[in-house]
Amino acid sequence: MALIADPDEELVRRVGQGDPAAIQAMVARKLPRMLALAQRMLGDAVEAEDVAQDAMLRAWKQAPRWKPGQAKFDTWLHRVGLNLCYDRLRRRREVVTSTPPDRPDTGPAPDRGLLAADVGARVDAALAGLPDRQREAMVLCHYQELTNIEAAALMEVSVDALESLLSRGRRALRQALADIRPGAEGA
Amino acid sequence: MRSERFLALVAAYGADARRWPEAERAAAEAFALARPDAAGPALAEAGAADALLHASRTPRPSMALRDRVIASAAGAGLKARRHGRVWLDRLALTLGAGWAAAACAGIVAGVMMTSYLTADAQADAVLYQASLLGVDDAEVLG
Repeated sequence: MALIADPDEELVRRVGQGDPAAIQAMVARKLPRMLALAQRMLGDAVEAEDVAQDAMLRAWKQAPRWKPGQAKFDTWLHRVGLNLCYDRLRRRREVVTSTPPDRPDTGPAPDRGLLAADVGARVDAALAGLPDRQREAMVLCHYQELTNIEAAALMEVSVDALESLLSRGRRALRQALADIRPGAEGA
Repeated sequence: MRSERFLALVAAYGADARRWPEAERAAAEAFALARPDAAGPALAEAGAADALLHASRTPRPSMALRDRVIASAAGAGLKARRHGRVWLDRLALTLGAGWAAAACAGIVAGVMMTSYLTADAQADAVLYQASLLGVDDAEVLG
């Protein structure tokens, strides 16, 4: 099996030795990515912080026994983060409620124009409304900027299946945000 | 690249060529240049969707979260082994022992010097007191 070049390899090795500077560098490099992944997968800031912290804790435990060349550390960390997100999404579905959960209002504000922050909130709400697998594909490829091969491997689907999820996800988002005129996102 | 494949690529990955699969990027860019009539509308539509997606705000970790995560490294058993500082620690230990030895030597010398000086002073006092009696030693001693 060909060894995989990993830009994080040296940093992970130093983290495994308990190097305080490497630990800080790893936090600077990976914590924002884990937080963004969880925030967009869960749509909840508090839960996203919990997931990001838990994922980093697992990274600390994994670093001393990490075997370079078999996988990218970033891809492994995304697998951990996604599993944590899906655990929480499953728990949400298992909660039996007598009243339907509050859904974010994805419609345009009736009495004011759309500012950039409003557009951002609308996009987040539309993203949260996607089916889980479409949202996962969008988040991994568009926001986390993983390659199609990395994202497909993480999702355990073929690249063709990934592209199908991405196309459907983008189409659904365009429909949900159809009322926003082009250029409003930068207002 | 066929037109169908280009359109499928843009529908999945958007208008930014950097997001296109590396293996197909060059062919797709060549298609876009060669067939603007077919590529243009698809790129424009995908570009508008990309711009909307970029409006999603990326969260930034708070300092409190960052501090908790850094603190959790020690809790997970990551402790600095400091291989490179062993020589420094040994040097510090040696210097420390040297200072301690010098301090001990100083104390001993001080005590001995004090005893010596005290004995001299006592002898002087005895001689002085003897002289005050006014008795000639020769008289006493004969």
